[in-house]
Amino acid sequence: MDTNAVKVHFRVIRFIQEAGLKLRLTSLPIATAAVIYHKFFRENKITDFDPYLVGTTALYMAGKIEEEVVKLRDVVNICHRTLHKNKPPLDIGETFWSLRESVASSELLILRSLRFKVVFSQPHKFVLHYLKFLKDWFDPHDWDTIPISKTSWAFLRDCYHGDMCLNYKAEHIAIGVIYFALLSHGMEVPYHNEADMKWWQENPNQPPKMVLSDDLTLPTVQNIISDLMTLYEMEILVQS
Amino acid sequence: MTTQAKIVEELEFPYCENASEKYEKLTKIGQGTFGEVFKARDRKTKRIVAMKKVLMENEKEGFPITALREIRILQLLSHENVVKLIEICRSRAGAYNRFKSTFYLIFEFCEHDLAGLLSNVNVKFTLADIKRVMQQLLNGLYFIHHNKILHRDMKAANVLITKNGILKLADFGLARAYGGMTQKGAQKYTNRVVTLWYRPPELLLGERVYGPAIDVWGAGCIMAEMWTRSPIMQGNTEQHQITLISHLCGSLTPDVWPGVEKLDLYDKLEVPKGQKRLVKERLKPYVRDQFALDLLDKMLYVDPSKRIDCDTSLNHDFFWEDPAPSDLSVMLSRHNQSMFEYLAPPRRRGHIPQQQQARPPTDQHFERVF
Repeated sequence: MDTNAVKVHFRVIRFIQEAGLKLRLTSLPIATAAVIYHKFFRENKITDFDPYLVGTTALYMAGKIEEEVVKLRDVVNICHRTLHKNKPPLDIGETFWSLRESVASSELLILRSLRFKVVFSQPHKFVLHYLKFLKDWFDPHDWDTIPISKTSWAFLRDCYHGDMCLNYKAEHIAIGVIYFALLSHGMEVPYHNEADMKWWQENPNQPPKMVLSDDLTLPTVQNIISDLMTLYEMEILVQS
Repeated sequence: MTTQAKIVEELEFPYCENASEKYEKLTKIGQGTFGEVFKARDRKTKRIVAMKKVLMENEKEGFPITALREIRILQLLSHENVVKLIEICRSRAGAYNRFKSTFYLIFEFCEHDLAGLLSNVNVKFTLADIKRVMQQLLNGLYFIHHNKILHRDMKAANVLITKNGILKLADFGLARAYGGMTQKGAQKYTNRVVTLWYRPPELLLGERVYGPAIDVWGAGCIMAEMWTRSPIMQGNTEQHQITLISHLCGSLTPDVWPGVEKLDLYDKLEVPKGQKRLVKERLKPYVRDQFALDLLDKMLYVDPSKRIDCDTSLNHDFFWEDPAPSDLSVMLSRHNQSMFEYLAPPRRRGHIPQQQQARPPTDQHFERVF
């Protein structure tokens, strides 16, 4: 993908997240909107479709999919306001109705391009479980003073600015962001050097097989971290 | 035709196949929650499928959320006793439909639905057959509840049975995920769900925080129907339905159901007082099996928190005492005609209510329990 398109996507995702927060959507539908957006542009050219229209529609669809339904009217108004901060709010009139119609039509277009596959596995629940699992290993004071979970969630939110979510499994991204958060704070999981297995690996011989991954390798973790770092470099380029 | 219209009509957009090019409609077999259902044949593979039309008329909020929920839920659930969604197709957009395609959900085809089978007097279910039907029904229901999904439209017409005797729960048009929390606490849902005759007392009384027990009530009504051959409580209005439930299951009082008095509609509806619980007594003339009566009684508990769940039901003696559940394909092989409720003569719909004691059955098909 050319750098220009990457920059556009970065800006649209920021727009999705900003409008999503204003619509009082929680992190899951906002993340789903980003996945829908990236999936659509993996198969369609950015020159053929208005990325902000696709972003707006993705946000609207994600609300329906994740059972946090928002009214089409509110989506149109808030996205318009987010995109045109210097213009007055949208009046009910021709522009409003045609914008509304555009979102409704592109919803069908995007659904078709997703082949109606509307079940997405997101890293959120994995991050939650892994953090709960790790918390018990840490000194309670350290855990309370060093914002490991906060940083992990921030990395997770930011990772959607690129299309990483399509390239890795949800549970791998979850471990990647926690791993990176630990690195950033210079923290180590206590006793991990004495353990036979890394904290993010799963011992197949030992039940329960509920948390942490059995097919994640260190290079994948490193790729996830490097992708994240590329995104943060991109942020500077996008702003300049 | 304007050039723009011509472009739209001729535009080839991939990913979603044209329904009428791929499938040949054969007959209409039903009316779903949000559209018509057709039997159709794949022109190439000759496979028979069911096509459900997604109604989009007057849809101001884009693609209907009910259809999206159904698609999402069926993609999430893959189980022998849940109907399988094959794909989604569309019709050609053109001037005749104001350039809006119609969408179709394509399902695997099942030969019969339970309401159709029950309305045919020539179809006889033995005790072993009934056990197999209920076992599969509860298995499917256990699976969807385990996945945190409520069906919300249990009724005999939504229970499909293939000619090989495999039961499939169908019509997830009202289904949704449950157990969600919002900032304000447990998520509330609409209580205007479930066909009236199968609607549990908590929904009739306005409960908005409900769970899997609502589907178990419906399963209980269906189970009784396996013997009575017609829905056991055919109310005309919510009020009438509450009256019928009270007459069968006893008065809805705080004694048997702590907290019932706090439900929104408890004071607004007339809740009969002083009625005794007569589930076993009234069903005994039809259901001679003691284990069946006991399970029915537990599925039709008025207090949802005390109503039996699917897992416990499946462990009930009913399924483990002789005769063991049979293979339904043997019984169904005697019938080579598809049986759907839609095609069957109406089963005493809108019957004028009368409160009479259950009469002992005189022949294979009865009026109602009371």
